Amino acid sequence: MDAIRTENLTKKYNLGWGRGRLLALDRLNLRVREGEVYGLLGPNGSGKSTALKLILNLVWPTSGAAWIFDVPCDKVVSRLHVGFLPENPYFYRYLTGGETLEFYGRLCGMRGALLRRRVAELLEMVGLTAARDRRLSGYSKGMLQRIGLAQALVHDPRLLLLDEPTAGVDPIGSREIRDLILRLKAMGKTVILSSHLLAQVQDVCDRIGILNLGRLVLEGDVSQLLKDQQRLSITVQDLPEGARGAVESAVAAAGGTVVSVEHPETTLEDLFLKALRKDEGGARP
Amino acid sequence: MSGARQEWVGFSLRRVWAIAVNTLTESVRQKVYLVLILFALVLIASASFFSQFGFGDAGEQGALEQLKFVKDFCLGAISVFGMLIAIVGTAQLIPNELEQRTIYTILSKPVRRCEFLFGKYLGSALLVLVSLLVMSVMFGAALKFKGDNYLRVVRETVERAGENANLEEAARQTERIRAAVLDADLVKALLLAYVKLALLAAITLLVSTFSTSMVFNVAVALLIFFSGHLVGAAKERWAESGAARFLLALVPDLSVFNVADDVILGDAIPWGYVAKVMLYGAVYLAAVLAAAQFIFAEREL
Repeated sequence: MDAIRTENLTKKYNLGWGRGRLLALDRLNLRVREGEVYGLLGPNGSGKSTALKLILNLVWPTSGAAWIFDVPCDKVVSRLHVGFLPENPYFYRYLTGGETLEFYGRLCGMRGALLRRRVAELLEMVGLTAARDRRLSGYSKGMLQRIGLAQALVHDPRLLLLDEPTAGVDPIGSREIRDLILRLKAMGKTVILSSHLLAQVQDVCDRIGILNLGRLVLEGDVSQLLKDQQRLSITVQDLPEGARGAVESAVAAAGGTVVSVEHPETTLEDLFLKALRKDEGGARP
Repeated sequence: MSGARQEWVGFSLRRVWAIAVNTLTESVRQKVYLVLILFALVLIASASFFSQFGFGDAGEQGALEQLKFVKDFCLGAISVFGMLIAIVGTAQLIPNELEQRTIYTILSKPVRRCEFLFGKYLGSALLVLVSLLVMSVMFGAALKFKGDNYLRVVRETVERAGENANLEEAARQTERIRAAVLDADLVKALLLAYVKLALLAAITLLVSTFSTSMVFNVAVALLIFFSGHLVGAAKERWAESGAARFLLALVPDLSVFNVADDVILGDAIPWGYVAKVMLYGAVYLAAVLAAAQFIFAEREL
């Protein structure tokens, strides 16, 4: 069963007063399999959020249709198994972290001891147990994003829609969110995330789709899409100084061409995280 | 979570209640109750406006006049402060939800739009109810404080006069002051004031289902509030014109809820009238909420 299926999903927004219509999403055909992490990529305004809103029935398609686990998404029942984290969420600033999760749990029909247990479990999972009784007005951006993730998970949904889950979050925070997504995947959840932070998507997604101006321009497995079949890179540790020429001539003798020889670089993100860990001894409040 | 596949999500009062409680929590934590403190200050000022505890030159008649004044002033203040709480408390609900995007997180759960809307309305109606109760208690306390002072004056007059005291007259005075303080019709006036404010909150919510601006919501709600008080007079004025009567029928006749003047003048208000007006309010309220739901269900977010 597909977690999400869309058929020619199209959305035109009326700009009003004779200014015409904006084509936000153009005949999107999407299939997300259960259990995979799917990345919806694209520049700002390419239709990522519109696609998610259409799937959640917050706006209505101009034409086409969408299904969640084979249930048409204009039915309330289709949302029983979906958790959603909107872009830049603020939530109720006057509620504490614990109260926020209790409120969303009640909306999903939970109560009593079951609800309290679930709230404690989620706070633990997103690392906010210590901030349970603080109001959200005092939360940092990264904490808000994590409480948002917990809120989306409150009813233990099978499918998660995350709109820019790491936007505006510092590298440590976004690493934590990334690790959470990987844990969810290990638990068998289906995750769809939209982002324009490509490095992150590459790390967590099984498949990606790239949207531009409302159209899906590329789709496929991340590993397949990124693999350069023509080239092969070999990383060697502790090669003696004089041996490099021998390696290069061996490649030439086998009919290959050496394109480049260089020291591999670490990513800036890794460097940043390493530096901070060294400074703090790895601890983070 | 459940093994069997659920086919249907029904309307749930528990979800409506969860949203209502959250709405009420918001009002409390955003310190809407400060308006009530303002009311208390106004009340204290009015009650101590006539600070002399004696009957003064006007005698017993003066005391009864002053009790009337307190009632008049307090019922007027309750109406004004209640209106502020009903309109401002309701006008911000939907614009805030949209601005903070919290509406997305709620409606992406298995929550019906009507549950969300009615929850919001219930929260705001509860806020108005609690505010009105608090103001009524303060009002009652002020009235009792004034009344007790006058009763003491009567007692002291009797004690001073000693054997020459006109006990019959004193008993009659005590009776009249008690009646002025414990006036059951005040409850009717407050009851109708609540129905009026609940209706006003529903109208404000209706306006906010199609606009995105809180300022616009407040402005339109105020306009309806004031025209609602004039519509009764307008109906008499243009009784012959069919078109005018049709237009006027769309605006609720809020003046029917105002029985404060009759209460103060001591005219009896029959329960039959109260029931009739409450029915009018309930029918209007149901129509307004139905219209709000009709618009909100079609709104893209």
